[in-house]
Amino acid sequence: MTSETTPDDAALFAALRRTWSTLDPVPAGLVDDMIASVASADLGREYALLTLVESEATGAVRGDADMLTLQFSDGHTNVLVHITIAEGGSRRLDGWADGDVAEVRLIAHDAELQADSDGGRFSFDTIPAGIARLRVTLVAPPTPEAGTQLLTPRFEI
Amino acid sequence: MGGMTDAPSSSFRDHPGGEERAAAPSTIWARAADSFLRWREGELAAMDELVRIMTPVLWHVARAYGLERMLAEDVVQATWFTLLRRHESIQDARAVAGWLTTCARREAWRAGRAAQRARPTDDLDLEPLLPRDESAEDRAHRGDRDRRLWDAVGALDERCRRLLRVVAFEERPDYARIATDLSMPIGSIGPTRQRCLGKLRTALEADGWRGESRDL
Repeated sequence: MTSETTPDDAALFAALRRTWSTLDPVPAGLVDDMIASVASADLGREYALLTLVESEATGAVRGDADMLTLQFSDGHTNVLVHITIAEGGSRRLDGWADGDVAEVRLIAHDAELQADSDGGRFSFDTIPAGIARLRVTLVAPPTPEAGTQLLTPRFEI
Repeated sequence: MGGMTDAPSSSFRDHPGGEERAAAPSTIWARAADSFLRWREGELAAMDELVRIMTPVLWHVARAYGLERMLAEDVVQATWFTLLRRHESIQDARAVAGWLTTCARREAWRAGRAAQRARPTDDLDLEPLLPRDESAEDRAHRGDRDRRLWDAVGALDERCRRLLRVVAFEERPDYARIATDLSMPIGSIGPTRQRCLGKLRTALEADGWRGESRDL
């Protein structure tokens, strides 16, 4: 069904891909948004969506806060997050989860970072300010019917 | 995608579109199939990989239909939700990329029709691919080769632009389905593709291209 593609045609198509990718690029954040919405839509199957239980900024105004504390929960597992402003305006995130944590990832800017973690503690240093969410994978579900994948809503770091 | 996880924060900030390298589709297709298989076998994070690999391709397919950017984003999302609902109907997991692009073309076609009905104009190309009044500065920042190719593509008729973009981003275009979607006889897709490539080469040559692939 496909007609033969000569090397010259293939080179032209490759150049077209480059040009379109450069001049009509995928919107920044689209990949990240899609990953998050697919994960949320697949909730029943795999993910427990954590909800924000508490948010507290220490500092004058939210924008100038020295530290932001967020607490997420799905009723079984609690995740506490501290965000502080590091040198040069980048952020540091320290977190604690009360489950047996296998892995923690930060999803932001179309990329994923894996945390340095130790038991229930985890941290990310020098992350850029912006919108992000965390995905926590537990070693075992807290109850037999619960899942091992937890996803926070998006929050600002 | 190794290297993504430990990417230093600077690269992760400076390249918002960094996922979108003009990688050879054969690699993309193989990686998509691999991720989909692993997801089916229960590896949860593999779905994220699949979304990461295929979202740029689906974007270009949707944009090939002349959809404005917001609508194109909706088409990409609708495609992923359709996959979640209907993934069990995909018998050959290796075909997942083709299944996704076909779904995106259908969604884009539908969205384009709806958008057209909502407008008094019968202008099928809802948004010019490039603002005509782009600044001199923008122009200067664009690679010269990209500019030439872009201009040459812009000079083609809409059917050619759409066909070439869809074919460029789909590794193994399904001509039967494309024919249905573009309301063209199946047998004409191959010749039309060659005719469009010919027109593109002619336009490039008129702009000084000497036919060397390395100058593209």
